[in-house]
Amino acid sequence: MKILVCIKQVCESESPIQIDDHGRWIQTDVITGYQMNRLDEFAVEEAVLLKEAYPGSSIDAISIGPERSAEVIKRAIGMGADHGVHMLTESEGYLNPFTIASGIADYARDKHYTLILTGVMSEDQMQGQVGPMIAACLSLPWATAVIRQQMAPDTKSVFVEREIEGGSRDTLQLQLPAVLTIQSGINTPRYPSLSNLLRANKQKLETFQAGDSTQPQLRENVVRVAYPEKSRSGTVLTGTQHEKATRLLSMLREKALLQ
Amino acid sequence: MKQTIFVIVEHFAGQIKPVTHELVTCAKRLQLITGSAIKAVILDAHPAMLAREMADTWGLEVTAARIPQLTGYNGEIYKSVLADLLRDLKTAYVCTAHSSQGMDFAPALAVELNAACITGVEDILEVENQTCFARSIFGAKAVAHVRPEKDVSILTIQPGMFRPQKPEIAVPGSVTHRSFNCESLKTRSRGIKQAEADMTGITEAAVIVSAGQGLGDKENLDLIYQLAALFTKSAVAGSRIVCDLGWLEYRCQVGVTGATVSPKLYIACGISGAVQHAMGMRNSEYIVAINKDPAAAIFQVADICIVEDLTSFIPAFIKVYEKTKSDGL
Repeated sequence: MKILVCIKQVCESESPIQIDDHGRWIQTDVITGYQMNRLDEFAVEEAVLLKEAYPGSSIDAISIGPERSAEVIKRAIGMGADHGVHMLTESEGYLNPFTIASGIADYARDKHYTLILTGVMSEDQMQGQVGPMIAACLSLPWATAVIRQQMAPDTKSVFVEREIEGGSRDTLQLQLPAVLTIQSGINTPRYPSLSNLLRANKQKLETFQAGDSTQPQLRENVVRVAYPEKSRSGTVLTGTQHEKATRLLSMLREKALLQ
Repeated sequence: MKQTIFVIVEHFAGQIKPVTHELVTCAKRLQLITGSAIKAVILDAHPAMLAREMADTWGLEVTAARIPQLTGYNGEIYKSVLADLLRDLKTAYVCTAHSSQGMDFAPALAVELNAACITGVEDILEVENQTCFARSIFGAKAVAHVRPEKDVSILTIQPGMFRPQKPEIAVPGSVTHRSFNCESLKTRSRGIKQAEADMTGITEAAVIVSAGQGLGDKENLDLIYQLAALFTKSAVAGSRIVCDLGWLEYRCQVGVTGATVSPKLYIACGISGAVQHAMGMRNSEYIVAINKDPAAAIFQVADICIVEDLTSFIPAFIKVYEKTKSDGL
């Protein structure tokens, strides 16, 4: 079985987010650090579990982004991927999901992957578009928010359960090859092992410039970035911790929420 | 050029889902800007009744796409039938829900139609005389205004953001019946498994104390339970991350993929407040947020904001509470 797992590097969730002077994008220089999109970790883990269940399988991990993104590809190798692919972009700014998806689809087209996996969405852009777009580009069946999968190689299919509203599950049988976007909680992502990390550091990534000649036309664009508006009064309590605690207590008592 | 606004009717088990009415409301907002006609499309094995209901309730022109193979939702069928229906349009907005269905087929449909795709739309606005759509980014610490660069735009509308208006007494719209045959599918639906988790514990509580990743360590859950114990009819809940980490069971999860709650008091402890969580608790009567990150998005939906580390603030609060108790208030 050949698996492609698509991963993204995102800024740490605790990192401060500041909008640039023109209100066009966020200021990248105040970001404190980057990490693998937490939701993609579940996709990498699911790929590694499949590789363990089906000996002889191989995993390619692919990411599109600036040079720093190589770190998350190495982490995927550390977790058990065999080969890393880096589609290098110049820009630090917004990358359109269709650009990413068609880039990955172009890479995957002749490689005969059995499964293409990715996280359900990225933590930074939260669009959840890349998975179904890759499937559409390659005319493959897909399922999003997959919380359980069971391969059935005999029938060249995979049974999946996708999470729908209220914790119920929609069950599907997809013909292979297929694209799955993996929901968090499907497994417990492992930490990279030391031996795999050493391998990742020695091993060369397959690196090439993303879409220099085939850059697809932009389908939508971010024209402005703003801070969110408050939907409630949002009274900020001030003073020492003790003063805040006292104030909160009296507010809750005034509202008869606490005796 | 006049555009058409299409609303994709979301339905389940023979009922139009409430989110569909929000989609119509959103379409009407778009109509004010564009002057376009609104049409609805419904896909089902037997769509006639629900199509009639949509046409009568909202006075819309409805296309009823009858697909014998469709049992419930199937992404592949939705993509190919909607692509067939919409392919010849020069310009259009397609409004679908940012739900497990809409999120599943919208991006694939956009590829098929060479269209723009904007997911999780929370608002419609005009920037430099052009229609843009607002959506949260970076864990709701910022909002992006996204402009479609194509004449056809597929939008998934965040539930809860467009309060459905009461439909005016409308002249019933017409229903057009179309039939599609979807054979040789690569995606076979095999039915819905109902949720096993019993969420009544948190949906019926008057007070919810909820934990997020800011808890830092499973052992700190004890603080959450201690705080909850001060209140009557209280329950402990958590964000998805906390459940993914195995610190709480999934039946305690509040948010889009968990329970939607509206208690008298919701205390969010160490919760960042990304859209997925906020959607599940924003209708609580009174919201207190405790988070050490002053930029946490949870403060945007809170009545009381406390910028503190929960591991020291909760013990401090309990101490103050107990002191007033022993002092006889």
